[in-house]
Amino acid sequence: MTSVNLVRSELRKLTTTRMPLTFGAVLIVLAVTNGIAVAIGTDMDGSKTFISTGADQQSLTAFAANSLMIAGLFGAIAAAREYANNTIIATYLNTPVRGRALRAQFTAICGGGAVLGLAGAALTIIAVALALPTTEHGFMMSAGDVARIIVASGWAGAAGAVLGAGIGTVVRNTGGAVTGVVLILMIAPPLVVQLASGTAPWIPNTLANVTSGVAADTGAAAAVIAIGLWALVPALAALWSVRHRDVT
Amino acid sequence: MTTDHKYRLVIDNITKRYDNQAVVEDLTFAVEPGRITGFLGPNGSGKSTTMKVLLDLAAADSGTANIGGCRYRDLSDPAGTVGVVLEPNAFHPGRSGRNHLRILAQATNQPLGRVDETLAAVGLRPEAAHRRVGTYSLGMKQRLSLAGALLTDPPVLVLDEPANGLDPQGIRELRELLRVRASRGHTVLVSSHLLTEVEHLVDDVVVIDGGRLVTAGTIAELTASSARVRTPSPQVLSQHLTTAGARIETAGPDTLLVTGLDLDQIGDTALAAGIALHELSAQAGSLEDVFFALTTPTDNAQKGFPS
Repeated sequence: MTSVNLVRSELRKLTTTRMPLTFGAVLIVLAVTNGIAVAIGTDMDGSKTFISTGADQQSLTAFAANSLMIAGLFGAIAAAREYANNTIIATYLNTPVRGRALRAQFTAICGGGAVLGLAGAALTIIAVALALPTTEHGFMMSAGDVARIIVASGWAGAAGAVLGAGIGTVVRNTGGAVTGVVLILMIAPPLVVQLASGTAPWIPNTLANVTSGVAADTGAAAAVIAIGLWALVPALAALWSVRHRDVT
Repeated sequence: MTTDHKYRLVIDNITKRYDNQAVVEDLTFAVEPGRITGFLGPNGSGKSTTMKVLLDLAAADSGTANIGGCRYRDLSDPAGTVGVVLEPNAFHPGRSGRNHLRILAQATNQPLGRVDETLAAVGLRPEAAHRRVGTYSLGMKQRLSLAGALLTDPPVLVLDEPANGLDPQGIRELRELLRVRASRGHTVLVSSHLLTEVEHLVDDVVVIDGGRLVTAGTIAELTASSARVRTPSPQVLSQHLTTAGARIETAGPDTLLVTGLDLDQIGDTALAAGIALHELSAQAGSLEDVFFALTTPTDNAQKGFPS
């Protein structure tokens, strides 16, 4: 069997259940919520300064942090359900070299996460753009800003999905994997920052905002690499796990 | 796909422990090509674990398990060589049966047309194949599992409880399918707890209990391997025979059913102990009789199931 066929098989796994529709629906709801916020939302003083400049609009539509979380949950569920449903048995029977099977699986999940990230950012920007004419403000983001937000969101989605898949593979339980993703991306980072304030620029949300161009806590290249490392650690843990544990 | 006799399955001194508890212990047996081998044992006796070790899903603590002289992972085309039914419910409930097979076909480089052929071979109708697996009955899931095992037309089949949930028609079709495979020189290992069904299906039997080999041989040898002994001193004779390695079942106040020793050994043991025998005859029992004589009852069997 070829690696391309293995990845195609894994992609078919992802696209033959209702999971893509569910996550697609979440992206649409978030985009519509942003559009409604632009149309009828105001700041505390009743003004609409939160969309009054290009930078404000870029900050509103920066989707990378959302991508990390959404794709993280996507990856966690996609990987953990293989164990919950015992379909991992067929995977390892077809590809007994488990590192190879894991690479194919993570490649497909990474691709799925990237698509979610790209689509999430694009939908949000479209919803905001469609809502802006109902206000006195026009669409003020440059094409470069739009591209950066979408690409940053795609990268965050790809990395988030691998991070989630790594956790899902190690935990092998859907509920546990989802909890793990929420813990690592949402609950633990602020606690870590409380203990060591120097870590603040390197927590996932900050890094995602840096790559989207709405924060400058680190350099953009460093943020891109750091997001990749956040994904790499659980992926390596997953690789060790599948090589050393029985399928029971 | 080759169908010559190179795919002999050999389990050689396998020991597998979980939490320092031996689930399989020093187990050795072989499964010959061209024959259907039944793999029997009570619940928890280590059958599934042995199969998982054979298929590289679990690592043995010691010993080796080979398919045609290779570990499963070292086969040039593992999925094309061995068809497997292992877990009764290894499907995503939200995926259709056809998509389940398409995923397997894609991973194993099979043309997608092979999916429909295999579905037809196991008797899953097209409208059922389009439905989500979560709506399937146990029998339909079992047919889908079998379809997955047959997708690559492999020369080796390793099937864990394949008749579970099948209706009588399905069981008959399974029996015919396995018989045809064996007649083509394929290797077939089938675990089952449906003893009467196994008796009609298999050529050879491997019985394990507590992770250890109890007996292995042809079904004819096994069902003819007990002896009926009538004696005025059944308790004393039982002790001597047990010491000599026999398993004893009481069949009446003065009658014992003895397995594990041949007639000569039983007669010699009685003579050496000075015990009179009023009858010593070979007993052709059913596989079920032999199985219960050879294995330890499970907890449930000892306590009795609630009515």
